[in-house]
Amino acid sequence: MVSFILRRILVSILILIAASFLMYVMVGYSAQPLQDLEGSNSPNKQQLIDARVALLDLDVPPPLRWVLWLGGVAKCAIPFANACDLGSTISNAQVVDILPNALAATVQLVTFALVLAILLGVTIGIITALRQYSGLDNTVTFVSFFLYSLPVFLVAVLLKEFIAIGFNDFLRDPVIGTGALVAIGIVVGAIWQSLLGGDRRRRLVVFLVSGLATSGVLLLMSATGWFMNPGLGPIPVILLVAAIALGAATLLAGLRNRRALITAGINGAIAIAAYFVLQPLFDVSSAGTLFILAIATIAVGLVSGFLAGGYDRGQNMRVGLVTALLSSAVVLVDRFMQSWGDLLAATNGRPIATVGSKTPGLSGDVWLAGLDTFVHLTLPIIALLLISFAGYTRYSRAGMLEVLSLDYIRTARAKGLPERTVIVRHAFRNMLIPLTTLVAFDVGALLGGAIITERIFAIPGMGSLFNAGLFRGDLNPVMGYFLIVAAMAITFNFLADMAYAGLDPRVRIR
Amino acid sequence: MSIRGKLFRKSLSGVAVLGVAALALTACTTTGSTDTNTDTASSGGTITVAVVNDFTSFNNQTPQANLDTNGQVGYLMGNYGSAFSYIDNEFNIVREEGFGTFEKTSDDPQTVTYTLNPENKWSDGEPVTADDMVLAWAIGAGYYNDSTVDADSGEVTTGTTYFEIAASTAGLDTTTFPEISEDNMSMTLVYGTPYVDWELVNPIAQPAHIVAKKAGLGSATELTELLQSLPKGDAANPVAADPTLKAAADFVNTGYDVTAFPTDPDLLVSSGPMVPTGWTPGQSFTLERNEFYVGGMIPKVDKVILRVIPDANAQVTALQNGEVDIINPQASADTLTALENTGADVLTGDQVSYDHLDLRFDQPVFADLAVRQAFLKTVPRQQILDSIVTPVNPDANVLNSQIWVPANAPYDDSVANNGSSAYDEVDIEGALELLAGATPSVRILYNTNNPNRVDEFQAIQESAAKAGITVVDAGSPDWSSLLEGGDYDASLFGWISPGVGSTGIAQIFSTDGGGNYNQYQGTNDDAILTQTTLDPDKLIEIEKRMDKQMFEDAYGLPLFQAPGVFGVSKRVSGVEYMGNQTGPFWNFWDWSVNE
Repeated sequence: MVSFILRRILVSILILIAASFLMYVMVGYSAQPLQDLEGSNSPNKQQLIDARVALLDLDVPPPLRWVLWLGGVAKCAIPFANACDLGSTISNAQVVDILPNALAATVQLVTFALVLAILLGVTIGIITALRQYSGLDNTVTFVSFFLYSLPVFLVAVLLKEFIAIGFNDFLRDPVIGTGALVAIGIVVGAIWQSLLGGDRRRRLVVFLVSGLATSGVLLLMSATGWFMNPGLGPIPVILLVAAIALGAATLLAGLRNRRALITAGINGAIAIAAYFVLQPLFDVSSAGTLFILAIATIAVGLVSGFLAGGYDRGQNMRVGLVTALLSSAVVLVDRFMQSWGDLLAATNGRPIATVGSKTPGLSGDVWLAGLDTFVHLTLPIIALLLISFAGYTRYSRAGMLEVLSLDYIRTARAKGLPERTVIVRHAFRNMLIPLTTLVAFDVGALLGGAIITERIFAIPGMGSLFNAGLFRGDLNPVMGYFLIVAAMAITFNFLADMAYAGLDPRVRIR
Repeated sequence: MSIRGKLFRKSLSGVAVLGVAALALTACTTTGSTDTNTDTASSGGTITVAVVNDFTSFNNQTPQANLDTNGQVGYLMGNYGSAFSYIDNEFNIVREEGFGTFEKTSDDPQTVTYTLNPENKWSDGEPVTADDMVLAWAIGAGYYNDSTVDADSGEVTTGTTYFEIAASTAGLDTTTFPEISEDNMSMTLVYGTPYVDWELVNPIAQPAHIVAKKAGLGSATELTELLQSLPKGDAANPVAADPTLKAAADFVNTGYDVTAFPTDPDLLVSSGPMVPTGWTPGQSFTLERNEFYVGGMIPKVDKVILRVIPDANAQVTALQNGEVDIINPQASADTLTALENTGADVLTGDQVSYDHLDLRFDQPVFADLAVRQAFLKTVPRQQILDSIVTPVNPDANVLNSQIWVPANAPYDDSVANNGSSAYDEVDIEGALELLAGATPSVRILYNTNNPNRVDEFQAIQESAAKAGITVVDAGSPDWSSLLEGGDYDASLFGWISPGVGSTGIAQIFSTDGGGNYNQYQGTNDDAILTQTTLDPDKLIEIEKRMDKQMFEDAYGLPLFQAPGVFGVSKRVSGVEYMGNQTGPFWNFWDWSVNE
């Protein structure tokens, strides 16, 4: 095992060096960093060219310049010396200084998109697998292939037009028209009836109830000016938390498991109590406070599950954790919504943004800042999400169907296990194994692959750095980008191999 | 008892954990400020302008930082193109007498005196004095440089280059050390040879007291004394570098280059109407009104925010969504259509860059005037304009002068007389007649990565073929390095006309000018003469003569000015079109928010 890891690391480093050489030489020969000066009619053109040649060592041919560059990179290996030298850009900014900003912007964008894509994609994939060849399955298959085939720039433009500009225009007079209410009701009803399935009568009831409920709630929201002054309020919070507790217990342990129900109930109750008690603390919260509260939430979830006891404490702890996290999320969402009015005031009543990742000059507490980040990143995240989540639905649907057709699942069913246990315990876990590879690839690819999204939404991330560098013939930032992205790709592939061995006992690493 | 003790200990430790947690929690809270909004109390409001490139340096006059956004910030901060005078959108030099005055007191030797308004202060409260002007002069004139540069590596081989600047030292390099008045408020420059663009010299750059501090000196006066004590540099006899001046120069050269908003307030000191107050790299740059500024460019708005949006369509949607108020995207027909659909005000006009076709006089194919004329007669200039520019700027016309753009006053008069009318229409008959049966072959160099140039090339190729001229594609993505000494007969590329000033003329149209890739010699004497002509009327006369001469010699043809487009939100008024690099910022003091 250790020798395998050492070998892999050594090989990875060699691959990285060789790839960097190829990249450096190819970009070095094709880039024209002097183009803007050579075509200039400035009287001191030659002097400017000399200055740039001296700054970037352009008189050294690219293969030799790569050696110089590698020498600077090698200094990064010296621990704690802070001697990293990745060269400078044409405008004399050290690449080491600009990389962290770019990396942070991309990570912020990509993490959310990736996590959401995995959660949504896997969930929808499983549901469609369980309802194979139903109307829902066919619709989701159609929609996901449709999204998969859309170019990101088109998605981005549509999102900007409808979600940002359209929604902001809507906010000027936030009343939903009757036609829209009916249409939304019909669509939502259709989705729910196909989700829940059953005979014709049951479907009709589900359709009517869910459709009318949705339209009714929207009507209420629009009548009470909810969109200008949103919030959940005590009763919806209690209802939502109760639903979450019930849902978590049902899904993870089954309603017959009393200990799990108790755990979920305790966590739900604590969340509701926290909603009422912690509001004054929230008003003075910083990011640190929220971090501590998050740790406390996790601890409460796990400890309550453990204390509830029973023969399967692990299961209880899972139920406790999921309930605690989801219901505290409800409480947080409610608090974030309370800052909506401040955000509307700071953005001239047009909160959903189409560019950047924060409103310039906005200063406020953690809630306002968080909401501001949310309204800025919503569109790019949806754009990335719509395209990458389609893949996950396909993989997880196929994986689930394959696992469900295996012998051990039939055995499990034959020995009388409830369907919930068969799906959640036996099928779901094994289905996840192939997905680890996919996730690992995606992390590497997304870090470098958001070039177009970043450009369209003006987010100064890794993709922008690469794009701007390539456009100006600026080799060093391009190589900085390459170094990070290549290292990430190699690392995550390595991690995927390790995880595979950990998850699947049939796979051995030597 | 032991059980009770255990329980007690356990609960005690539980209480301790809770206590620590509560303590940590309180430590991590804020004071609960209610002041969450952006500053909406002040009167003038905020205007947000979209820019394409990010900001990189507070000193835009170095070779590495000479970029559009840096220049625009410099314009607002008063260290570039906006102290004693600015350039308006008709390319007139407008004097800014609230800041200071300057006048030419003698023609022989040319003597110019700059006098500051004594009320002027830097944004840190220090007065603006002649020390600051002397520093700006020292930077701009390269007076102390005694370096020789290796042509290959660009490294200095002997001597020292102190201040590295993007602009040329030409003009100021003939001045002697300036004379400073008793009250330290005015400076007099004496030129060794007359300098035509003396009105463009704007001797305010970095604050001398800050530069002195960074160089380890006590005050701006000490810096001036140091400069006074040092001899003029002589590249033939280099001397050891002065360490203090070198330190000052190093600070000016690279000390202003930043990758994050500086924690050192010294870098933010400005003499102009606005001071920088915030920068989120890659996203936005904020400037606010400078309370110490006493000149006439006082902005009506409190805050100007530059928002970095590289993509043209993203700029349009951001304008539509109210995130920015003014955009100046790269102009294309698609952008214009999208912009018109947003309901914002759309301003179109010409940019100062223009495309032109030049013929090389040292190539055998163009040795004969008749061949040059015949080839130029086939160039479909109107067709090129209609396909590239008219969709964006419907008012655009073919450019008919090698010297001026239509915004310049002498343009119309010169075009009427310079003989450009011979090339107004494609004249295949005339070309065939001039060629008298010859079928020359012309290689045209152009940038194959620029779709406009490709279109131009194809239009010319097609039209020339009708007259029996074979146009060979010598285009290359490396076109710029091939301009000098490449294998071609004609070139298609763009110049950026400064719009104002005459130094570019010698650069392009004199025999030894660095931009004369055509070995053209017909206007050499006049081009050199322009550089020392101080009488504006006489200057225009010479330039008209050159313009005419070039069309007579069939030097080449100017094609068109690149189109430019601004989009302006309805909530803002006072924005006017400007075609040079300053862009919409040129009259920022006229902007106001309608509310």
